[in-house]
Formats: sequence, C-alpha cells, structure tokens
Amino acid sequence: MSKKASATAAPKGARTLNDRKKMYNILEPYIWIAPSVILMAIFIIVPIFYVFRMAFSEVTRAGRIRGFNGIENFASVLKGNVFSGVLWNTLVWTILVVGLSTLLGFILALLLNNKFKGRKIARAIVVFPWATTLVIQASVWKFIIDTDYGALNTLLKTLGIIETNVNWTPTPEAWFAWEIACGIFVTIPFVCFTVLSGLQSIDASYYEASTVDGANYWQKLFNITLPLVKSSLTVATVLNIIYVFNSFPIIWTMTKGDPANKTDTLVTYLYKLAFYNGKQGEAAAVSVIGFCILLVCASVYMVSTLKKGDE
Amino acid sequence: MNDTIKVNWKQLLCRILLYFVVVLICVVILYPYFTMTVTALKSRSEIFSINGTILPIDVKWSNFADIWEKAPMLRYMINSILIAGGSTLIAMVCGIPAAYALARMKFKGQTAFLGFIIVSQMFAPVVLLIGIYKVMSVFGLTNSIWGLIFINAAFNQAFTIWLLRGTFMSISAEMEQAATIDGCNRIQAMFKVLLPVAAPGIVTTLIFIFINAWNEYTVALCLISTDVYKPLTVGINIFNGYNIIEWQYLFASSLFAIVPVVILFMSIEKNLTEGLTAGGVKG
Amino acid sequence: MKKIIAMLLVLVMVLSLVACGNKADEKTTVTMIAAQYGDKTAEWWAGFEKKFEEANADIDLVVDVVSWNDIYTVVNTRIANNEQPDLLNIDGFADYHADGLLKPVSEWVSDETYAKFYDSFIAESIVDGTVWAIPDLASARALYVNTDILAAAGVEVPTTWAELEKACEAIKAYDPEIYPWGVDMTTDEGQAAFAYYTWNNGGGFVDKDGNWALNSAENVEAIEFIIDMVNKGYTNNDPANQTRYTLQDLFAAGKIAMMIAPTQIESICAEAGNGVNFKAVLIPANEGKANATMGVMDRIMCFENEQTDAEMAAITKVVDAFYDDQPYAEWVVMENFIPATSTGGEICIQLQPDLESWINLVAGAQFYPAAKAEWMDVKQGTINVLQQALLGEDVQTLLNDLQAQIAG
Repeated sequence: MSKKASATAAPKGARTLNDRKKMYNILEPYIWIAPSVILMAIFIIVPIFYVFRMAFSEVTRAGRIRGFNGIENFASVLKGNVFSGVLWNTLVWTILVVGLSTLLGFILALLLNNKFKGRKIARAIVVFPWATTLVIQASVWKFIIDTDYGALNTLLKTLGIIETNVNWTPTPEAWFAWEIACGIFVTIPFVCFTVLSGLQSIDASYYEASTVDGANYWQKLFNITLPLVKSSLTVATVLNIIYVFNSFPIIWTMTKGDPANKTDTLVTYLYKLAFYNGKQGEAAAVSVIGFCILLVCASVYMVSTLKKGDE
Repeated sequence: MNDTIKVNWKQLLCRILLYFVVVLICVVILYPYFTMTVTALKSRSEIFSINGTILPIDVKWSNFADIWEKAPMLRYMINSILIAGGSTLIAMVCGIPAAYALARMKFKGQTAFLGFIIVSQMFAPVVLLIGIYKVMSVFGLTNSIWGLIFINAAFNQAFTIWLLRGTFMSISAEMEQAATIDGCNRIQAMFKVLLPVAAPGIVTTLIFIFINAWNEYTVALCLISTDVYKPLTVGINIFNGYNIIEWQYLFASSLFAIVPVVILFMSIEKNLTEGLTAGGVKG
Repeated sequence: MKKIIAMLLVLVMVLSLVACGNKADEKTTVTMIAAQYGDKTAEWWAGFEKKFEEANADIDLVVDVVSWNDIYTVVNTRIANNEQPDLLNIDGFADYHADGLLKPVSEWVSDETYAKFYDSFIAESIVDGTVWAIPDLASARALYVNTDILAAAGVEVPTTWAELEKACEAIKAYDPEIYPWGVDMTTDEGQAAFAYYTWNNGGGFVDKDGNWALNSAENVEAIEFIIDMVNKGYTNNDPANQTRYTLQDLFAAGKIAMMIAPTQIESICAEAGNGVNFKAVLIPANEGKANATMGVMDRIMCFENEQTDAEMAAITKVVDAFYDDQPYAEWVVMENFIPATSTGGEICIQLQPDLESWINLVAGAQFYPAAKAEWMDVKQGTINVLQQALLGEDVQTLLNDLQAQIAG
C-alpha cells in the first residue's frame, strides 16, 4: 500500500498528509474497538488465564498453587466415574433449555408483536421472570413444588383436584425435569425480547407487499419474518447456549446436584469440587474441558455463519 | 359480502385466541409471583402449617415493614441501582463504538475480534472468581462498587456488541453517508442518524445489561465484604440463616427488588415499539 | 434515549462521590470473617465492632459476616489470592493448617482467655501436639420426639433400633400423612446421618487407633439399617434433597414425629407457634451398643499474615474482648448454642438453666475427626455413599470403594 502511495507523484506536503490520513484510516477501527478490548482483556481474559494456570497446577485444599503438575488434574477428573454422567446431564440441560426456550420465546415474541389492548402490560409481565434473581426464582419454584408445604399441592387441594399431597419429585430425573422447566421459564424472556427487537426493525412495507401478492400467514412467517430476525435470533441462541451451559444458580438452589451427582451439570459439579471438596485444580480442569466443548461448538458456528456474512 | 363476514369471523376468532393465549401465559408467569406475595404476607407458622391455605388467613403486612428494620434495604437498593446503572453506562460506552466499527468498517482481525468476544463468555463467573478477585485487588477494587461495575460491564460486552452489530448491519448505511456529505463527521453521523434508528436494539441491550448486573450474585458476594457496599442480591441473604430460612422476609425483599427493574422497563419500553418510526422521521 | 443518558450521567456523578468516601487512616486494622449463625448474627457483630473500637481507638476492626452457604467460597477465594483475614470463624481448620497458613494458638490467645476453654474442646483442635484453633461454640445433637404423636400412636420413646422400627410402624399406621423419622442425607449434612447411625452401632469414621475404618462391618450394618428405614417408607420421602432445616420446619409443624437435631430446634418450634409438644432424648442405638452423642464444634483461627507486633497485640485484644464472659455468654445464648468456655458456661446456665444438661452431654460427645487431613474427602465420600445407597447400590461395595480411595 505504501508503495502505491509513493508512486503517485503528489506534492510532498500533501503526501504526508495523505499518508497520515491513510494511517488513520487503518488505525481508526482499532481505536473504536479499543475500550471494549481493554475492558474485556483486564476483567475477563486475565481471570481466564488464572483458570488455565490452576488447571495445570497442583492446588492445595486451601487454594494455594504449589507448582505445575501437567495433566494430573484432568486425569483424575476423567478417571472418576461421575464425569461422564455429569457431562451427559450438561448436554441434556443445555439442549432442552435452549431449544425449548428459543421456540417458546420466539412464539411469544410473535404474539406480543401483534397490536392489542394491554400489550404494554403483557410485555411488562413477561419481563418479570428475567427481572428476578435466579437464586430467588429457583427458591420459589422449589417452594412451589415442595411435597409437604408446597404451593402447588395447596392449590390443587383447594381446587379439589387432589386429596393428599403429591410428591412432584419422586426421582432424580423428576428433579432434573423441574430444573429444566425452571431454566426454560427464566430464559424465555431473554429470547422473546431479543426477537422482539428484531421484529420491530422489520419494515411493515414488506408485509403489505406480500399481502398484496396473496401470501398467507405461514408464508409470511417463513419468507419474511424468519430471515429478517435470523441475525438477532442467532446471536441470542449462541450466547444462550453459552449462558445456559454455564448456568449455576437454578440447579444449585434446587438440588445441589444431589442425589449422587444425578442432577449435576459441569458447573455445579466443579463448584462442589472447588469449594466443598477442596479440589480447585480439578475444578479448573473441569471448566477447561467445558470451555473446550463450547469452543468446538462455537468454531463450528463461526465457520458456518460468520464467514458467509463477512465475505 | 359473504366473504367479508367470513374474514371477520376468522379475525375475531384469531383475536379471541390471541387474548386467550396471552392471558394464559401471563397467568403462568405470574403464578410464582403470586406465590411469593401470599407467602410474604404469611406468618412463619402459617407457611409451614399442615393444612396450608392459598391466601394467608392472618395477613401480615408487617412483614414488608420488618425487612426495612432487619436490613438496610434502602442502602442495598441504592448500591444495586448504582452498580446496574454504572455497568450499563460503561458497557454501552465501550460496546457501541465496537459494534459500530464491526458493522461499518473493514479491518484486519475483525473475525478474530468477534471470536474473542465469544470466547470471553465461555467461562462461568463462578469459575473465574479467584482470578477476578486477583485483578480487583491489583486495582484496589476488591471492596468497592466500582469493581462490580467494571466486571458487570465486561461480562455484558459480548451481548452488547453482538446484538448491536446485528442491529447496525440491518440498517442501511446510506443515510449516514448522506449525513457525512452534509458535513457531519463519523461520530456525529452515528449519534444523529444511526442510533435513533437503532433504538429498539439499543433499548433491548440496555435492559439486558441492567437486568444482568442487577441480578449478579456470585462476584458481588466474593468481592464485597462491607455491608454498606452490598447490592440487594447479596444483602437479602441475611434472611437465609444457618437454621432458618425466613421465607416471608426473603420473598418480601425479593418482590421489592423487582420493582425498579419493572419501572425501568415500563419507562423505556415504548422505544421498543416506536424506535423505527422515530428514526424515520428524523432521517 | 436522551433522558436515559442523562440519568446515567447523574448516576456516574453520584457514584464518584460514593467511591471517594472511604479513606484509610493510620490505625491498626484487624480483619475477620465470621459465620452467620442466625438473623441476629450480623447485627451482633456490628455492635461488637462498634463497642470494641470505642474502647480501642487505635484499632480498626473489620468483621465480615458471611452465610454458611457462601463462606467456603468467600474464604477460599481470599486465601487463593493471599488475602486471608486475620481471624476466621468457621468449622474446620485442618486444610488451612495443612498449608501452613495458621498461627499456633499460643501466639495470639492470652493465657487468661486460654484458661477458660473446656479441655475436651481444645483437644479437638490439636495436631502434632500444638493447638491451632479455639472453639467459639458447640452444639450437641439429640433425638427430638413429638410427644403428642407418640402418645396418640400408642408408642414409647424408642431407645433401640428395634424399638425405633416398631414405633415408626405404629406412627405410620396411626397417620400415614406423618413422617415417623426425619433423615437428612444431603450435600449439606449427610455426613451427620452417617455419624448418627454408625456411632450408635459401635462403628464410625475411624477405629480405636484413629485410622480410617469406613468399611467396618458395624458401618455396613448401620447404613443398611437406615436405608432400609427409608425404603420401608418410615422417613421423609426425599432424604437426598431435604436438608435438616426443612425437616426442622416440618417437625415444628407436627409433620415429623422424631428427628435428630441440635438445640436450635426448640426455638424453631417456639417461633413456629404450632403448639408442638416435644422432648429431647438420647439417640437410639443398636441392641447391645452404647448410645453415642454427636457434638459439633465451630472454631476461631488466626492466619499468618506477617503481622507486626502491634497487629498481633490487636488480634489478642479482639479475642479477649470476644470471650469476655458476660457478652460471650449473651452471644452464645442468643445464637442458641452451647458455650465453649467454663466461665462463660456458668453465666449461660444462669441465663438459661436447661443448658447445663446440654453442656454435660457435649462433654461426653463424639466429634467428627476434623483434625485429620483427609476429613473433607471422607465427609463428601460418606454423603455420596448414602446417596448412592438410596438409589439402590450395595452398601458394602460402596464403603469398600470409599475406604480404598481414602486409605489406599
């Protein structure tokens, strides 16, 4: 590029000015992204390095690092018979919560995008589950489904539907199902509002044109709406997968992974390893493994979607 | 003639169905809050009585008053507002330019930067606690509201940048170019032309960051050790004691914690719907 | 939009004001993390801090009260960053000692205060002949029985396992809605269940020489007994997820007939106000085995922070002030625990006469082998064994595996 610039026979002063401008043009984008990069580098990337360091170190019970120990932490995590079950739970949890909340959140967004009386109130109500701390949210649900003094049993008894208290969580699988339901419940608003913001930017003229062409509701949905909200929906889904994969409070509040790791996901498992069992090195190893899984998924996504968009 | 009546019937049916579904969803969503409210109004003995009732028999409004005496709720609330508001501001100030650069400029490492953002999200804060504490202690921010503001702003960069990049990209650059020809520089063009049109996306992002920071618990727990700097989420833990969980107080204070978020949402919600038209007029 | 930006700007200004508020001055600072026992704990410490600073103008005492749910997370995060507090009030000390983080008690507790502790309590904090922590309070577990339910079902208070099973059967027959026996096998406190049954069958965590003996025949029998009780439907229906706190509330509501609990259950029953009549008795043992009581003890320890002499003197002053008999006794009574000092104990008994029998009970109680380095692994291991057994795994195999993992 500089060769080209020097080849053009321009007056000396103008050329340096030109060069400077060019230099600025090259640098400008980096100036724009700099604050964000600095913020993330300091407050997230540095802590991530600590996780990696711990994953490959011998860490004492109290949390002191006592030197490099290779892949020993990884080996002892993978050696245990718990890990595969926990990993499976994590996948089930992530897929079900993200899948169902995306579907339901999308439908809800379509509904709330209609003009109707009370829409403002309905939207405000949908924000509720999001506006509540997850710990509290999970506590409420645990309180509702409690066998002995739970609100659900009281409600059904008052309505005369049941006579004696029902145990809603007789098995670990039942607990896990409730946890997933709770996860979906709190994730729907996030998806809903991301899609809604996408829907709002669609120009109404598209719909008018296709109505003239005689398109029905479903045709409009698939031909106009979906392609146009795709970008915000993909962003929401990708981030959602990461957030849900790493989600901690719901499972921790409801079951702490009990009984016998049957309801653990990677994050609750590693939390127990780190702060209950005093194995912070192994906990860091588990989180690095989780990171690798997410990284592979994200790379697949990046290669397939992003490249297409950028070129 | 016949046709129009048919269409009207169909429309009416759709309307009724719409209302039915929306009301149903709202009921399901509100049910936990209903439970929280009635529980917050019960006495301890009533909460655990064998023959529980849905509504409290003896309504204890005093529970809502008690939480103010038992904990410095107002202090916690102010801290939470400062933390959530401050994080939102910083996340936007850092995120908007980055999203703008990604949407409107071409530069080397663009894809790498987008990847970097995603990667930054891949560890749960729970995992990063020890590292975060280390960074904060270097800056002397371990027991300060500023520490929480920065950490929440950083953790919300990914969503901010990705969503705003998408929003900006979906808006044609022509208007900004026209403005540039009219003598605006890039920054002016962004503020005057792009941002108003992108209002729905910006508002969504604002709400998102605010709520996330408002609800953050784990990092606040580990960083803040002085009661006067605690946010609501950590502060109300006082009702979660060694031997007793004071459900009535826990729920009363949690309900109280939702109010600011809902007010904020209600007050800026119209931007979600009116953003486009407003931008159109200005453009 | 503009309004929002304006609002946020105002916020920032307020923020900068708030953040500038704290300036350090030249006082000796003593930092402490204390466990939150009840909803008055934080308030009490705040009062203590204020009173202490008034009496010692040159010392800045900073007490951070953390709930039991979160205290390990908070403490470990600080230690990993070399920012441990000077004083810590928590349950175990072995892990910190193993890393050489603690100062021996002789360096920071005055002779006068040290002389106050019950000898049997101090003995629980000794490793290699050195005392590393001092007890702040203790509690004992007893069997609480709902006398009304037992009378209505026509059964006596059980003293042996066989009687216990009969009693459960009778209560179940009397009212199937009532859980005869409360069991907590959760991550919270499952190890306590392990202790209750193995100790009352002549087993336990360690053998007579203090070596791990997790898979003894006594232990297997004991665990099989309690799992069998669960499977017969004599207990609460979800022992792996119902913590003792849940069970205590159910007991106070008259839904559980018998459960093993600390003294705090009495105030929980009183607060609940459901008029439950109860009494505390010895935990039943297996036929021909001695009854064992479980004691639980929390501790205060001092971390090595390269403190100056002045700082060490300040720490000693804090400790002295904390164990000052009158306020200490009031604190123990407020938290509903058992005192760890004899002089404090005397005042406690005046305040609350029925504490005497509890103090005697604790004196003969067994404690967790928390001074052993592997204790944390054993604790989690026993919880895991109980939960696996609940799901139908073989107890002998599980305990063999655990023993091999710990001692092998």
